[in-house]
Amino acid sequence: MCKRQASSYLAIPAGQFLSHMRAELSRCDLAGRSTARVNSPAGGPCPLVETGASYGCRTTKYSNFFAFQGIYNDVRSIVYSLVAAFLGCFGARAATTQASLLLSAETAAPGTTLLAGVHLKMAPHWHVYWKNAGASGIPTTIEWSLPPGVTAGDIQWPVPTKLPPEEYTTYVYEDEVLLLVPLTLDSNLNQPGPLDLKAKVAWLECMESCIPGSAEVTARLNIGPETKPSAHTALFEAWKAKLPAPMAKGWWEGPAKDNLRPLVIEWTALDAGNVDFFPYGSEQFEVQPATERLSAEPGKVRLRKQVKRYQGNWPSLISGVLVQQAGDRRIAQEVTLALADEKGVVAVSASTANTAAAPLAAEIAVERKPLWLMLIYAFVGGLILNVMPCVLPVIALKIVGFVNDAKHHPAQVRKLGFIYGLGVLVSFLALAVLVIAVQAAGHHAGWGMQFDSPYFLLIMTALVTLIALNLFGVFEINLGGRAMSAASSLSAKRGAAGAFFNGLLATALATSCTAPLLGAAVGFAFAQPPLIIVLFMLTIGLGLAFPYVVLSCQPAWLRLLPKPGPWMEKFKVAMGFPMLGAAIWLCSQLTTHYGERAWSLVMFLVILAVAAWIFGQFVQRGTRYKGTALASAVLLCAAGYAYALEHGLDWRRPISSEGEDVTGAVSSYLAPAGYDWQPWSPEAVAAARAEGRPVIVDFTARWCLTCNLDVKPVLASEAVREKLKSMDAVALLADYTRFPKHITAELKRFGRAGVPLVVVYPKDPTRPPIVLPEALTRGMVLSALDEASK
Amino acid sequence: MKKAIALLSLVGLATTAWAAAEIGKPAPDFEATDINGKTHKLSDYKGKIVILESYNLDCPFCRNHFTTGHMQELQKEVTSKGGIWLVVNSVNPQHPNYRTTEQAKAEFEKQKMHATAWLDDSSGKIGKLYGMKTTPQICIIDKDGTLIYNGAIDDKRSSSHDPKTAKNYVKEVFGKLQAGEKVTPFETQPYGCSVKYAGVR
Repeated sequence: MCKRQASSYLAIPAGQFLSHMRAELSRCDLAGRSTARVNSPAGGPCPLVETGASYGCRTTKYSNFFAFQGIYNDVRSIVYSLVAAFLGCFGARAATTQASLLLSAETAAPGTTLLAGVHLKMAPHWHVYWKNAGASGIPTTIEWSLPPGVTAGDIQWPVPTKLPPEEYTTYVYEDEVLLLVPLTLDSNLNQPGPLDLKAKVAWLECMESCIPGSAEVTARLNIGPETKPSAHTALFEAWKAKLPAPMAKGWWEGPAKDNLRPLVIEWTALDAGNVDFFPYGSEQFEVQPATERLSAEPGKVRLRKQVKRYQGNWPSLISGVLVQQAGDRRIAQEVTLALADEKGVVAVSASTANTAAAPLAAEIAVERKPLWLMLIYAFVGGLILNVMPCVLPVIALKIVGFVNDAKHHPAQVRKLGFIYGLGVLVSFLALAVLVIAVQAAGHHAGWGMQFDSPYFLLIMTALVTLIALNLFGVFEINLGGRAMSAASSLSAKRGAAGAFFNGLLATALATSCTAPLLGAAVGFAFAQPPLIIVLFMLTIGLGLAFPYVVLSCQPAWLRLLPKPGPWMEKFKVAMGFPMLGAAIWLCSQLTTHYGERAWSLVMFLVILAVAAWIFGQFVQRGTRYKGTALASAVLLCAAGYAYALEHGLDWRRPISSEGEDVTGAVSSYLAPAGYDWQPWSPEAVAAARAEGRPVIVDFTARWCLTCNLDVKPVLASEAVREKLKSMDAVALLADYTRFPKHITAELKRFGRAGVPLVVVYPKDPTRPPIVLPEALTRGMVLSALDEASK
Repeated sequence: MKKAIALLSLVGLATTAWAAAEIGKPAPDFEATDINGKTHKLSDYKGKIVILESYNLDCPFCRNHFTTGHMQELQKEVTSKGGIWLVVNSVNPQHPNYRTTEQAKAEFEKQKMHATAWLDDSSGKIGKLYGMKTTPQICIIDKDGTLIYNGAIDDKRSSSHDPKTAKNYVKEVFGKLQAGEKVTPFETQPYGCSVKYAGVR
């Protein structure tokens, strides 16, 4: 009965057909239609039913037919569902592939790109086709109906299976496939409610027979300030891993600087000895010969090249040869690289060319803030530096100096304030020049990089010790001590020199700290042309000097300071202790460079202290044997130097004079207590993320006070430890004490020029890392970890 | 010398005649039985334009041309103008799309085909000889027995288009050949389902 009607329905007039259908429907199970997943082979008992089945979903066929009849247009949709129901009751094989639309994100932010996935689930052994179907078959198509502000890219096709026999080969997906499509959201997308995304998917499913299928699929996307991954992350990851990866990738690492722009090239190769990229020539630009090898994931090689532009835009394609040399064997592969822009902050670019693994550099959205805002950051950062622990001891000196001078020469205070400011500015200018010189030499410059120098540390330790001794009253230097009271023109001059020196000292110590806002500003500045670097350094200096300059310009405010009196002497001595603390801290830094030998320096400092005492007691304040006393002080210093510094410390030969620290062990001094902190490397991050574990990275250094006094205790706090344990986080520590290049580069990727930096990588590897602010609180860390474990 | 070349090319022709079909070369001869038991030999049709159509009605690409009636019209146009239209069904007997002789006769009737004959090629011999990969695929042999065209039936690679809106290669080539125009032999990429030879999915 069914068979006869079905096989004849094409021939009968529509009205008659409808009444047939209604009669038939009373006996049909309507529920069967939508889930008709019958695997009985086609061409069975009613082959033409199948004909109807496959066309039942194709509206164009019947629209002509009914339009010709002229009357049934309005009931067309009813007819189609009836046809479907009608055919479903037969158990004839209609398309059984189940199509659905999945999204990589549940909530996405405007201006980002997410992945849509058309998920096709075939009956066992049935297949649909790749973008090149092969000898037969037809690729799946997706027709989007998207709301304004959402743009779909091309389908990214996972690598298919090759179906034999050879002469009739087809390229197919069996059982299941997720066709990935990047969806880009407009940055000015302003949608209060969720967006409905729709697509019509059409495919040909085949096993022994072929059946076309189509489906309307929909998904809902929330728009919010932050992208939240969906529940399908694992599925997306699995299919993304099946996308073909380009043999080599290239991307701009950063913006141009002086018409030079850094380019990163990465390709898959085992460490093949010498690797290089030989560019092809162009009239528009030149890829410069120098090649810098960067650290990369295992199995990858990453190079940095500088591109110089002569005319036109920055190229989007660069051609050349990747060269690998191992022994006498040399392999060269010709490549043309489509360059991703560094602003392509999305995890997946819209082009199909290099979506398999978006460049790591593009993973992090470094905020591009305007110059003026960064300058404000620099100024405020400099201001805050005054109260950071590294500068605090110098404040003692300044306060004493101010009070002292205000007593005798209120007018001179202004002058001294300016000279102090000048000292700060000059030293910041010197720093800027140093940074520019280091960069020009092709190295990475970092904030506080002079602390990498053992010699700088040696001089600073001795200097700070002497200042402490001076504050204790062991001897006098012209920093507002008793010698100042004999107010002569000479002492005024000395006072000026002292103020200037104070400025230098404040800067020298300040660079071992970074203040809130300063990190961002310095990170920004160090990637800019030299003039901007100078501008930024001077701005920070202005910030640092500002309170004192203002104070000295407004003598009225000086009245707020206590009246000079005997308290000053006591205060001065008291302030000697933090200064002594600073000396000990500096000395501890030297253990990195000299190990146990650093104790010899302590011995030298004691000898130096004795010499200073002799100098103060018998040369400065004594009346007789001044010459003998001076000679013995100098002799003592010389002996101390020979014995302790030359012999004991062997200061010219630090143990770690060359190379990067690759010992692989985490310093117990730096590691926050109570959790297993492992050495950081990009590979360790990648490995942990591949396992789906959240990662916390602490970029720190021995010489960084903020790191050790502020960040470390937060990370070692019980709440944070417990949280790390409960979420099974991988804790990695990047030791920046000796400025290893790969860490400088990593800091730069996060837009920073120095430590501290704490980064939390979410469990979901598609999500970007969370960068924590410099001024860290336990709450911030905990909420970042919460976010990461989602 | 010229003679030697001519001789060589003759030898070449003789060998290619039994090898797989090559475009612009003499079409390899074959012999097959139709569903009514009649034997057809390609060489018998010398002097006539011959169309080979790879066929499987269960294939939606093929079926699209039949349900729209377009294939039948095309067959009628060819056979009514003295052309030969051979439906080549290469579905292997183990395949669910296979048709017994009885089923084939009924289908021929039902679809109101206007082909000269429906050849039983369940061994896949003819299909493979002519490099047929999909259903539908078309081969056109001119009056001299040269393979002029091998490829898709039209330029819309779909199972749901209206064939009238597509550029139909049979119509074009047959029309020109019929009018005595010279057609440079050509191929197109066929589309559709795989031909259901034994072992092909």
